Amino acid sequence: MNDGALPHRPALALAALGAVAALLLGGVHLLTRDRISEAEQRRALDALTGLLPDSAYDNDLLDDRIEVRIPGLAGESTVYRARLDGRPVALVADVVTERGYSGTIRLLVALEAGGVVEGVRVVEHSETPGLGDRIEVRRSDWIEQFGGTSLGDPPIEEWKPDRRGGAFDTLSSATITSAAVIGAVRAVLDWYASNRRQAFEDRHDEDPDAPDDEGGGP
Amino acid sequence: MSTRTALWRNGLWDANPGLVQLLGLCPLLAVSNTAVNGLGLGLATLFVLVLSNLAVSGVRRWLADEIRIPAFVLVIATLVTVVDLLTRAYFPGLAVTLGIFVPLIVTNCTILARAEALASRSGPVDALIDGLAQGLGFAAVLLLLGAGREILGQGTLFADAELLFGAGAARLEIHFPIDGVLLAVLPPGAFIGLGLMVALHRRLDRRRSGRVAEGAPEDPAAEAAP
Repeated sequence: MNDGALPHRPALALAALGAVAALLLGGVHLLTRDRISEAEQRRALDALTGLLPDSAYDNDLLDDRIEVRIPGLAGESTVYRARLDGRPVALVADVVTERGYSGTIRLLVALEAGGVVEGVRVVEHSETPGLGDRIEVRRSDWIEQFGGTSLGDPPIEEWKPDRRGGAFDTLSSATITSAAVIGAVRAVLDWYASNRRQAFEDRHDEDPDAPDDEGGGP
Repeated sequence: MSTRTALWRNGLWDANPGLVQLLGLCPLLAVSNTAVNGLGLGLATLFVLVLSNLAVSGVRRWLADEIRIPAFVLVIATLVTVVDLLTRAYFPGLAVTLGIFVPLIVTNCTILARAEALASRSGPVDALIDGLAQGLGFAAVLLLLGAGREILGQGTLFADAELLFGAGAARLEIHFPIDGVLLAVLPPGAFIGLGLMVALHRRLDRRRSGRVAEGAPEDPAAEAAP
């Protein structure tokens, strides 16, 4: 194939190909960057607004958010705050639990400002198809059982799957998955109970640096 | 033109990447749990395969033996990334469904194999035909395996079609009056299903070439059905 016209310089050819690939990728990246981040924001917003009725708040959820550490959950969680006329109405916590059966489960937990669960949705998971994946709302209505619950209702010691003596339905053959989701919702409730005031404050980054003289939780 | 007919026949049947060459099994087995997932990966693979064949055929004169494989890998990885970015920007709904599959295409040896075996030695037209034939053959296997596993495993067919084809396609979903057999959806179901398809393919091939008897078991394909 190298008979004639072109000099036999494989390294140069490969370098040229690499340069073309880099240019192409750079160009496509520039072209698509804005659209991709826009699409991802819209998707995140859709998931959030699905949990709260439109009329309940008038602020921009994606702008009004803080990063917090919630004990029992992985890494930093994002908390979006919903307000009506400036008053706190509800919050949606975007959290990740590591107690799933096969990996992490990411879920959105919506709480009314009073501490009652508005709704829960699983956003990402890798649980067993046919068993654990029934935590998705499109596969079963199991996840709906959290609506209306709070820390005292059911009592704290019953925040477990019923297979383990708790008050919540267990997905059959997926007790670990069920327990992970229940535990994550409870972790958010626990965090909110001891950080109720800070949860809606402006620019609240980490627990310790909030200038708060009473009840500044652990 | 008979070589072009041969290209079609090879990709779709005689040397089908999924059933005969047994290439690209990692994505094939992992993503064939429903018909729509299978079809989604099949279409994305087809797209990358055609582009990669064309690109490799286009630069084939510059590729000395020493750099062929790295150059193919570079071409394929670049194309997959481009396809991934474009889907996420212009078809965000599709990207949510295909999100995990598109990067998986890089692991599909079919694409590398076609670049090496055909595209690097052929003109663009043959490379295009080969890409289409092999891609369609692979997509067909994915769709059939996905449909079989979905029917047996969940009792549905074309569930979530709206993610691939838009809201109107939700009507495509068919329900069957059977309880799902979990095995079909789990990884072993993929191996069993593919095994049955390979066996059926070989049997049909053998029957066609008139060498049926020769001590073959009565009906290897039907026996082990779950």
